[in-house]
Amino acid sequence: MELIIATLTNLLILSSMYILVALGFAFLFSMLGILNLAHGVIYMLGGYIGLTLITALGLNQWLALLLTTLIVATFGIFLEKYCFRPFVGDFNRIVMICVVITVVLQTGVNIIAGTQILSLPPFAEGIFKIGPASVSYERIVTFAIGAVLLLAVTWFVNRTKWGQQMQAISQDLEGAYLQGINVHRISALATFIGCGLAAIAGCLMGAYLCLGPFMGDFMLVKVLMLTIIAGVGSIGGIFIAGLILGSLDSVLPLLVSGAASNATAIAILVVLLLIRPQGFFGHEVEL
Amino acid sequence: MVNVLLEVENITVHYGKSIAIQDVSLEVAEGSVVSIIGANGAGKSTILRALSGLTPLTSGEIRFAGSRINGKSATEIVTLGIVHIPEGRHLFPYLSVLSNLKLGASLRKDKAGINKDLEEVYKLFPILRGRRNQKAGTLSGGEQQMLAIGRGLMAKPKLLLMDEPSVGLAPIVIEQLGEVIKDINKRGVSVLLVEQNVHLALGVASMGYALQVGRVVLQGDIATIRSSNIVKKAYLGG
Amino acid sequence: MNRRLSTRGRRELTKPAVYAGLVVIVALLPLFFGSPYIQHMLILTFIYIIAAVSFRTIVISGQFPLAHAAFMGIGAYLAAMASKWLGLSPWITIPLSALVTAGIGMLIGYPFSRLRALYYAMGSLFFGIGVIQIIYAGGSWTGGYSGLTGIPALLPGTISKIPYYYFFLGLALVSIIALYRIEFSRIGTNLKAIAQSHVVASSVGINESGYRILAVGVGCFFVGLAGAGYTHYNMVLSCSSFNFMATLWLVMYVLIGGINSFAGPIIGTIILIIIPEFFRDLKMFSPFVTAAILGIVVYLMPQGLVSLPQMVRSRLTERRNTKKVSHAS
Repeated sequence: MELIIATLTNLLILSSMYILVALGFAFLFSMLGILNLAHGVIYMLGGYIGLTLITALGLNQWLALLLTTLIVATFGIFLEKYCFRPFVGDFNRIVMICVVITVVLQTGVNIIAGTQILSLPPFAEGIFKIGPASVSYERIVTFAIGAVLLLAVTWFVNRTKWGQQMQAISQDLEGAYLQGINVHRISALATFIGCGLAAIAGCLMGAYLCLGPFMGDFMLVKVLMLTIIAGVGSIGGIFIAGLILGSLDSVLPLLVSGAASNATAIAILVVLLLIRPQGFFGHEVEL
Repeated sequence: MVNVLLEVENITVHYGKSIAIQDVSLEVAEGSVVSIIGANGAGKSTILRALSGLTPLTSGEIRFAGSRINGKSATEIVTLGIVHIPEGRHLFPYLSVLSNLKLGASLRKDKAGINKDLEEVYKLFPILRGRRNQKAGTLSGGEQQMLAIGRGLMAKPKLLLMDEPSVGLAPIVIEQLGEVIKDINKRGVSVLLVEQNVHLALGVASMGYALQVGRVVLQGDIATIRSSNIVKKAYLGG
Repeated sequence: MNRRLSTRGRRELTKPAVYAGLVVIVALLPLFFGSPYIQHMLILTFIYIIAAVSFRTIVISGQFPLAHAAFMGIGAYLAAMASKWLGLSPWITIPLSALVTAGIGMLIGYPFSRLRALYYAMGSLFFGIGVIQIIYAGGSWTGGYSGLTGIPALLPGTISKIPYYYFFLGLALVSIIALYRIEFSRIGTNLKAIAQSHVVASSVGINESGYRILAVGVGCFFVGLAGAGYTHYNMVLSCSSFNFMATLWLVMYVLIGGINSFAGPIIGTIILIIIPEFFRDLKMFSPFVTAAILGIVVYLMPQGLVSLPQMVRSRLTERRNTKKVSHAS
């Protein structure tokens, strides 16, 4: 019973965090064709800024979470303008600039915080009990924040004017220009939101698991897998792919140990990719 | 005398090093329909792309309602009232018909006006009302062209630029298209139409231009165009 | 017209002489740099040049492989295990594991050859991660997380790095010449045709997937060679040398030099390994130097470092022309 609940909550948390980070990556990818390999370090940066605000400045956790989101999201606007926009359509230079961002941020964090494993204080304490089952409040809160944000993003993309414009840009860039949509402003907005979401996930995962300068590499790989399995341009697909990945990562370790479970997960994903190269839910893009 | 809405003066456009159009001049009078005809690759689409700010000019000037617009962004040009319905339609295939129409009004803030124009579009194309929740990519070719025009109208244009609206449509649909263009024009929207289908182009317009390898080779009112030898030989079969 | 022809003719003659001169200079370097550390860095440079140039061989077929360091790892671990557990001589394990790596690459390349562009890149990326996980899961056979130690040396008994220096210089030269000849043979032309347009290429009778797999096989053979050589030089292996980030660094070597030129990966590897060494005193801050080099190339040299001479030349003629114009006025 304990194990089932622990696995299930872990599955939900991992899935929602993967999806949160992947959304921002998918926005940039589907709108401007930018493969943002720096999205992982942005997630990592979120965790460390959150930690700094809480421990060094002594801010309230929730205030720190909010501030972190704003700081990293604003940083995203800077990235979009100076690092991505000049190279739209140039795959090679986008990859290079992303490596530059990764090296700079990882080295910076390394110098300031060191390589030791840190963690944020939990966002909630105590244990919730119903009958024989018990779940820590931290898990509930982490998942609740993730779920609320995911609902909010879905609402934003499907129901608001800006969200519709984001979709328009990703489906037909020239068509979007001709409707007078301000493509630069909307992509900046999408990067703002995407980096903000990654920062929140960084803080939450930094409390749920731990912080390390290389946590971004791990997340980046998850995000790439998720986006490819989902296919481009489908938010629903990202949700399903996120659940698949979260399930693999939370259930497989129970069946096979350690690295073997990672290898199995990868094997499953490679097979999925070979069956449906364009992803399962989106439409193929030419790059 | 009728006011001139759009004046294009000696514009030249390059794609990389090759010249797409050279020293093209044309005018669209307020409330008129003007057609540009010419073969594939004559540079017709380039003129429209230059007008809507997608392609920069090498030289020349474009004036709309008296003020210079070349160098302005695509967004600014839509705000001024020039709306470009591109060749190939460029709809948003995974969004609903209604969303596509509303995106046409991206720059407008007047909710009441938008809803009123939506009704107008539905009146013009009743089929779109029935399909408003369907994804744009699932419509037939003719319906997609209607949607593209409807989406263009949602921006409340003063001048509509239409690029090859007849491509891929059945003859009967092309005939309807001609009626639609006349109808739109009656509502006070000027139209600059680029067409390979000369019957459609000459049927709706009052003025015409013929383009050959990037240059205007013929211009005048529709009777002149129709009777010119170039057009007769090239398009009207004798 | 005549003059242009003659300068081109002269250049055709001077080119081989310049290359021979460069090789002689590189061969004489150990005489000037006695420090084993510098020699070690140069040996690594040779090894990574093989990896980077062979990466580009796959790229010219229109595939962007993000598993190249993982294939280097396959070659390295195969050689290590064959010599450590089966007792084979390094002189056998090096060519053997290069061949097996090529075989694995072609086997994997077959299903992957139907993936295009980005999907190929992503598929190979996942494959590379999978390889690392399998090595981790290999327990005592592969050394798992703690790495593999006690691998037999290629040249047992030599403490000096100099014999290794010449061995890897030779290996790099042979690999470069072989890959150069492949690229500028009919095979290379066909590969480039496929990359340009797979539809056109198959319509003129080029067996598209066959050539794609061949390119992967060639690339994997040489990167396997580099990996196996590295194994018997370093004698210690750790998985992290072959992970996703390692692949990304290989990609950087190629891109910074210039992916459209054969010399690009060579120049890029040299610059990205050697220049940061001058800034070792910066310690923790030294990655910023690498980032700065990359940043300069990204913003100022869209075609990579190989375009630098061309850029300088056109800047100079531009200046000369403006001078002329100002004189005339």
